[in-house]
Formats: sequence, C-alpha cells, structure tokens
Amino acid sequence: MILINVISLFLLFYLKKSSGTQEFPAQLKRYFNYGMIAAGVLIGIAIIDLPPQILFQLLSFVLVGGIVYLILLTPELESQKTMAITPLPIVGVELLKYLIETISPSIYNTLENYLNAAGFFALIWAVTMWLNHRKQMKEIEIERIFLKEQERQLKATAEQKSQLETLVAERTSEILKQKEELQDALDHLQSTQEQLIQQEKLASLGQLTAGIAHEIKNPLNFVNNFSELSVDFLEEIGEEMAKISDSKEKENILELLEDVKSNLVKIRHHGSRADSIVKSMLMHSRGGTGTMDPTDLNALIKEYSNLAFHGMRANPNPINVDIQLDLDESLPIIHLNAEDFSRVILNLVKNAFDAMRDKIGALGNDYKAKIQIQTKDQGDHILIKVEDNGPGVPDEIRDKLLMPFFTTKKGTEGTGLGLSITHDIIKSHEGKLTIESKVGEFTRFSILLPKVKLGEKST
Amino acid sequence: MKILIVDDERDVEDLFRQKLRKEIRSGTLELEFAFSAKQALEILASENPPKVVYVFSDINMPGMSGLEMLDIIKEKFPKIQVSMISAYGDEANYKKAMESGAKEFYTKPVNFENLKKEIAEITQLNL
Ligand SMILES: [Mg+2]
Repeated sequence: MILINVISLFLLFYLKKSSGTQEFPAQLKRYFNYGMIAAGVLIGIAIIDLPPQILFQLLSFVLVGGIVYLILLTPELESQKTMAITPLPIVGVELLKYLIETISPSIYNTLENYLNAAGFFALIWAVTMWLNHRKQMKEIEIERIFLKEQERQLKATAEQKSQLETLVAERTSEILKQKEELQDALDHLQSTQEQLIQQEKLASLGQLTAGIAHEIKNPLNFVNNFSELSVDFLEEIGEEMAKISDSKEKENILELLEDVKSNLVKIRHHGSRADSIVKSMLMHSRGGTGTMDPTDLNALIKEYSNLAFHGMRANPNPINVDIQLDLDESLPIIHLNAEDFSRVILNLVKNAFDAMRDKIGALGNDYKAKIQIQTKDQGDHILIKVEDNGPGVPDEIRDKLLMPFFTTKKGTEGTGLGLSITHDIIKSHEGKLTIESKVGEFTRFSILLPKVKLGEKST
Repeated sequence: MKILIVDDERDVEDLFRQKLRKEIRSGTLELEFAFSAKQALEILASENPPKVVYVFSDINMPGMSGLEMLDIIKEKFPKIQVSMISAYGDEANYKKAMESGAKEFYTKPVNFENLKKEIAEITQLNL
C-alpha cells in the first residue's frame, strides 16, 4: 500500500510545484498540504503495519481517488489532466488486488501472477504516460514562456506607443498654440495695417478737404462781405431816394433796387450756407487734435442734450419734445475728448429733432415726439443709446447715413456732414456706431465705447 | 490817421474802402494798400517818419509772409501797431503773431464791427 500513498504524495508534490508563476487559490493549496500530510501519515502507518490494515488501505485509495478527482474537476489544473490518468492503471490494479485479497485470499493467490503482470504493465504504461506528460508540459511551458515574452514585448511596444502618442499630442498642441498665436499676430497686423491705411486715407482726404475748404473760404468771404455791403448800400440809397421827388422813373428805379436787394439777400444767404459747409469740412478734417481727458459721460449727456433742446426751442420752427434720460449712475469716469464728444450728442439729438419735426408736419399734434437717451455700463464697454420715435430711416438709405455730404434734409437745412463727423469722432474713440430703425416707428443710434482704449493700454 | 492794409487779394482794397467809407469821407481815416509784404515795407520806408500808425496784414501771401513782415516792422518801426488777419486761425499762427508783438489777431471773414472799434480807439489815441 505504500506505493499508492507514494503516488498520492508524488502527485501532490508535483501539483504544488507545477503551479509555477500561476498562483493557485489558497483553498487548493490547503488541499495539497492536507493531502500530503495525509499521504505521509498513511505511509508511516503502512511501514509500522498498524491495524486495521484494511481501513488504512481503503483510506489510501480514497486519498488517491480524491486527488485524481480534484485534478479532473478543478479548472486551474486543466493542463495536468494527463497527470491524473497516469497512475490510474496502477491504482486500478492495486485496487483490484486489494478487493480480491480482502474478499477472498484464495482467489488472490491463484490470480497473483496475473495481477502482478497487470501491475507491471500498468507501471510501464504509467512511466510512458509520465514521460509523455513531462514532454507535453515542457512544450506547454516553452509555449507559455514564448507567449509571455511576446506579451511582454507587446506591452513594451504599447507603452512606447502611448509615450510617443503623448509626445505627439504635446507637440501638436504646442504647434497649434503657436499657430493660433501666429494667427492672432497676423490678424492683429492685418487689422492694424487696415487701420493705418484707413487713417492714411482719412488723413490725406482730410488734408485735401482742409486745403479745398481754405481755398474756397477766401473767395466765399468776398462773396459774403460784398453782398452784405451792397445790402447796406442799398439801404443808404433808399434813404437818399426818399429825398428825390416822385416820378415814373423813380418808381421803376425803386422797383429794380428792391429786386437787386432781394437778390443780394439771396446771395448772402447761400453764401453763408456754403460757409457753414466749409466750416464743417474744416472741422471734419481737423482730426487728431484735442486730448482725451477723464470725463463724466452722464453729465456731458445731460448738459448737451439740454443745450440742443434749448437751441432748438430758440430757433425757427421749435417743436415740443419729451426728452427722457435713463443714465446708468454706476458709469465710471472715462477718457474722452469732451469737446468732440459733446458734438456727437448735439448732432444725434439735433438730428432726432429734425426728423421728428418732419413727422409732426406730416401727422399733426396727435403725434408726441419723444427722445430717449440711455447709458449703460456693459463691463468692458459703455453703451450709449439715442432713440427717437420719429419717422425712421428706410433700409436703403441707412447705410448711406454716415457718408459725408449725404443728407435727408431738404434744401438748405443740412450740410450732410453731421453724422459723418459724429461717426468719425466715435471711431477716433475706438467706438462703434450702429443704426437700427423701423420706418414710421423709431430710429436708434447705439454707440459702444471701450472703457480703456488700445492707445491707453500700450502706454 | 493813416492805416496800411496788406493782402495779396486785390479785392480787399474795395472791401475795406467800402466798409470804412464813412470814416474815409469824414477824413478821420486814410487808407493805404499794399499787395505784398515787400510792397508794404517799401511804403513804410518811403516816408520818414512813416505816416502810417497801424498796419493790418494778411499772413498767407506769396513771397514774404505776414509774420515775417511783422518781425521786420517791429524791428524797424517799433512805434507802428500791427494786427494780423488770417483765414488760418490756428494756434501756431496765433502764438507766433502774439510773440512777435502783434496787437490783435483777426480771423477771416473779418468782423468789421470789431475792426471799426479798434480803429476808433487808435484814432482817439492819435488825435
Ligand atoms: Mg492771402
């Protein structure tokens, strides 16, 4: 019976060793240990021939059977299955011997030679199986090592790949960032260039305008001065004529003089019109003078909207207007060319008056003229809105409003420079002017002024 | 009292003569005209001492400018008052004229009411 237990011991010992790199569950290892102890105890018992031999022999079969059973049913021991088969013939023969010997020792004696021969063949079979198994195991082991190496290489490659990917991602984002920076710089350059070209154009246009305006101004002064003088002289002539006795000829002369006088008044009137255009042109081209000083925009708006209103009331064709101020008290002090900017307010308010006067003319007193002026702090910017409920501006002329010499005012009323100057002044403050309107309902001028101008940042 | 008016525009003569017609007719004022700075200086130099007590001069003229002439008059004839009349009422011209000793600075178109007042004051002083 020692043989069976040696087989058990050997199987367990081999199984325990075969775990290799793969870790068996603790439960399984415990089975191995208990099994080895049991096999050792059984071997010891067999050596000292402790009775009852039958029981211990049976236990030896149970143990080896248990081990084979364990190998066949445990998934972790899948590769060791041939191992379980290897001792089976020996165990079988021994079991047969044991059973026959236990049941009938006489039959055992007659069959002993056959049983020994069977035991011998079982042993050969076991050795062959064992060698085969060892060979298989080696192949499996080699394959395992090979797989492991392959896996290791794959892992290393993956790691390298991910490192490279990270590096590439880093470089790509760096390049993208640089590209963005370059794009920004390029955009900035382009807009600066455009601005410069625009300024250059405006400057040369301004110089041209100033030159022309001055050249026109001198002869215009003569026209105005001489026509004025002539009107004065006609007054004097009238006084002298009164001293001459009446006649048909005198009547005719007086009539003609009256016509001459009216013509001269017309010359003077149109001369002063031209003069105001020239003055506006000079103002237009003046640009660049004046300083940006800290200014209370709300106060400026109050003062100049009021001034525009009283100016309008004092002039011919005054109208009734409701002026509503909605000024954001939290507005900070900002840098403005107050002289220029007051002109912006004056121009916008005066324009609104003129537009609403036309609407009053068309609709009569049912229409209530109203101007709303609003300021609002918008973080980086300040918003100024001037809205009237006048006749509105049709889409097709809205774009032309800001062009120099474009006017909607009939005849002699406008120079066509007011809004153009307004726009220029806003631009010189780096602001934006937008016009929204709905015919028959409203016209809204919105000015968006940066609190801090580019020029201020750079210095 | 004699005043000299300097301007490259010839019509200035008619304008001044007509505007100051009454003063000229009453004999309180005598006008002389020059159409360049050079001509004006010749007129002043032709009389010794010059009868002219007041010069009104344009600034922009071909050849010598009114401001250059102002310096020369102030140097050679310090007693003569000079006022400038210019279409260019800019800061630079104004400052230069005042530093050189101009009495007044008129911008075109000339306000003849102011000019007449100025002449009346000078006339009072020279009576
Ligand atoms: Mg001139």
